[in-house]
Amino acid sequence: MTGMIGTRSASFILALMVAAPAATQEADNVVALRVSDTDRYDPQRSTALAAAEVLYMVGETLVTLDHDLKTVRPGLAERWEVSPDGLTYTFHLRRDVSFCDAKPFTAKAVVGTMDRWLDPDFPGVSKWKAGKVESVKALDDYTVEYRLKQPYSELLYQMTQFNFIIIDPDQATALKDDFGVAAFNGTGPFCFQSWTPRTETVLTRHEAYRWGPAFMTNSGPAKVGRIVWKIVPEEATLAAALQTGEGDVSFAVPPWALAQLQSAPSMQLLRPQAGFRTHYIGMKITRPDLTDRRVREALSLAVDQAAIADAIFFGEAEAAHAYYSKQARDFNPQMNLDAFGYDPERAKSLLDEAGWIAQADGTRMKDGNPLSLVFYGFTSESERQMAEAVQGDLRKIGVELKVELYDPTIVWGKLKTQDFDLYQMSYPYLSAGEAMNLYFLSSNMPTPNRMNWADPKTDQLIDAGNRAITPDARYAAFAEAGAIIHDAVLWKPLVNENLVVVAGPRLKPFKPHGVSGAPLYNGLDLELAK
Amino acid sequence: MNTKASVPHPTKSAGSARSGLFRRLARDPVALVALLFLIVIVAAAVLAPLLAPFDPYDTNLRMRLRPPGGDHLLGTDTQGRDLLTRLLFGARTTLALGFASIMVGSLIGTSIGLAAAFYRRLEGPLMRLVDIMLSFPSILFGLALAAMLGVGMESLVIALGLSTAPPIARVARATATTVMQTEYMDGGRVIGLSDATLIRRYLLRNCAAPIVVYCSLQFGETILLAAALGFLGLGLQPPIAELGSIAAEGRSFIFLAPHVSTAASLLIFTIVLSCNLLGDAFRDLTDPRLLP
Repeated sequence: MTGMIGTRSASFILALMVAAPAATQEADNVVALRVSDTDRYDPQRSTALAAAEVLYMVGETLVTLDHDLKTVRPGLAERWEVSPDGLTYTFHLRRDVSFCDAKPFTAKAVVGTMDRWLDPDFPGVSKWKAGKVESVKALDDYTVEYRLKQPYSELLYQMTQFNFIIIDPDQATALKDDFGVAAFNGTGPFCFQSWTPRTETVLTRHEAYRWGPAFMTNSGPAKVGRIVWKIVPEEATLAAALQTGEGDVSFAVPPWALAQLQSAPSMQLLRPQAGFRTHYIGMKITRPDLTDRRVREALSLAVDQAAIADAIFFGEAEAAHAYYSKQARDFNPQMNLDAFGYDPERAKSLLDEAGWIAQADGTRMKDGNPLSLVFYGFTSESERQMAEAVQGDLRKIGVELKVELYDPTIVWGKLKTQDFDLYQMSYPYLSAGEAMNLYFLSSNMPTPNRMNWADPKTDQLIDAGNRAITPDARYAAFAEAGAIIHDAVLWKPLVNENLVVVAGPRLKPFKPHGVSGAPLYNGLDLELAK
Repeated sequence: MNTKASVPHPTKSAGSARSGLFRRLARDPVALVALLFLIVIVAAAVLAPLLAPFDPYDTNLRMRLRPPGGDHLLGTDTQGRDLLTRLLFGARTTLALGFASIMVGSLIGTSIGLAAAFYRRLEGPLMRLVDIMLSFPSILFGLALAAMLGVGMESLVIALGLSTAPPIARVARATATTVMQTEYMDGGRVIGLSDATLIRRYLLRNCAAPIVVYCSLQFGETILLAAALGFLGLGLQPPIAELGSIAAEGRSFIFLAPHVSTAASLLIFTIVLSCNLLGDAFRDLTDPRLLP
């Protein structure tokens, strides 16, 4: 009897020991780790990258973007036509698509999604991405007509972004503010099961899913049964959790930890084919010391961005010499980018030319004032290191930088003010045109056009690029605008950061997707090793 | 040391007691070592601009995180700056912060404590205020204040001073209450001395010794708090060297380059330990009744 109890308790303990790790790693489960959570999972109400990561798995867009981030591919729409005047887009929808609750997907959902988003009373975000919309109508159950008031060359590219994910409008009406919080009914390869804010989001396989985009290896259904998105707020803890197997995959691993993970034989470092995120220093040209272009060029030439890429990003970034990547659509290779290299000697002579004379202690003075600039930035580890590196570089040419780093909760408010000379940031983008629309239009002052770049010619060219009907006309306009803003030296580009996905031994290697900084994309290609 | 007996010249007696204290301190080897160590650190911190082998702000990313040895005795930090230089300047900042904060804290704390003991009507409200301040952990209190006041040396000193003030106020009140019961206080009142004179000439001077001893104990605590705020990023802005923030910047690279965090943490540890040992010795050597 005692022996039996002994055996039983022994096997119980054994079962517990086996079950303990299994509790986090169920057979058909993939655990993705990230640092921060979203405010809600409503594609038309959130700007958070954390929302995009999950929404791409549970919902879909009419058109998708191939791995090169340049070629538009079919999504929920199997084909489309654009009228010669560039004003009317007609989308022909797939007929085999259904939502997670088995309701068929029709043109009604597309019209409902767009109407809700563009309703002036609806607190929707990023509405500009939709262009100047005249109307979105269902011609029949599987045909949607998207009419614009003026041509918008970026429309199809923007439509690949998560803000265009088609929702179930009936559910949105029923749930109101709880939509995307309590539930989300989408057409993606996974279904939204539960969300515990700042802890985890659980997705389960959409069993009926068969309509994955052609550029994914798997067209459906998904190969893993469940995806758990866990929040690990501390970068170092997150890196450690990947090594201990608590998590299977993450793309929030800090650069300094990548070198260490790379040496672990079981860890895989995967990189998307393309992906655009550029770190830069913006210069507020209306500040007294920065009105002189020569001073701005000197600041730009003094900062060694290659050292930042090598040292702070451990090589997981390339030194940037333009405001956006050379691989981005509509990048103009003819632009003069001499002002964005590293040449401290030339920087010094430019300051001399501009009347800033070096004193015995190295500081630069003009009319009795030292060249001292205020710099705003973020408190996160790698951004702090970059700020210090820039500060150190500028000190070498005699420029004092007063660095003020703020927590993400207050920094955005601070960046709306006119109280700083330089600021540091990174931003994701799809194309040169998108970057210009965001940062360099005079109508976007004081933010995100924090440089106060108000140039009618730039405005006119960006507008022409947006209205262009042919790719050539679009390129011509954006290329010229690009040359103007680069010539003015409004930013010092630092690095183009590589998106790196770290996957543990439980996952088979897969090809990450660079869209919107959400490299797991719809999760179709995730597969367990055994 | 007996302040109660020396009615006419209480301060003179306290002074001779202090010199005796230093003589007795010299016989305590642990305290002596702590004292010598602190003297060396303070001297090194004060003379940092003369002693430091490199410029503390001269960055060189391509030389970052070099291990100890060669030109850089203790290696380099995350920006390629000489770590020894950074530590010297860091100790300078941290010690100055600790000293300024303990001065602010003792000024506020002593004022509250003496006022509470002298004016009995104020005792209730003042000491309840101190109780409220004490009910927050000092790190939380310091964090909240530093976040409220914003970045910079002044606001950091105020935040640290305010978080060290409450326990000092308690000690000050306790000693002052004892002194208030002495005859010379009554005598002073009878001959018509003003409140200000009574507090300054008799109350403060007779409470000074235990408060100073207590502050020396708190000094280590304050340095630790200053370093903790620096570690959490609420301290001073870059490129100022501060021991807590040096430890924090090295934390991410603890596997790649353990020397940065280790050296800074060890320095904080030894400074705080020496302060505490010395404070303990002071306490033991003064009248044990002064601190319950």
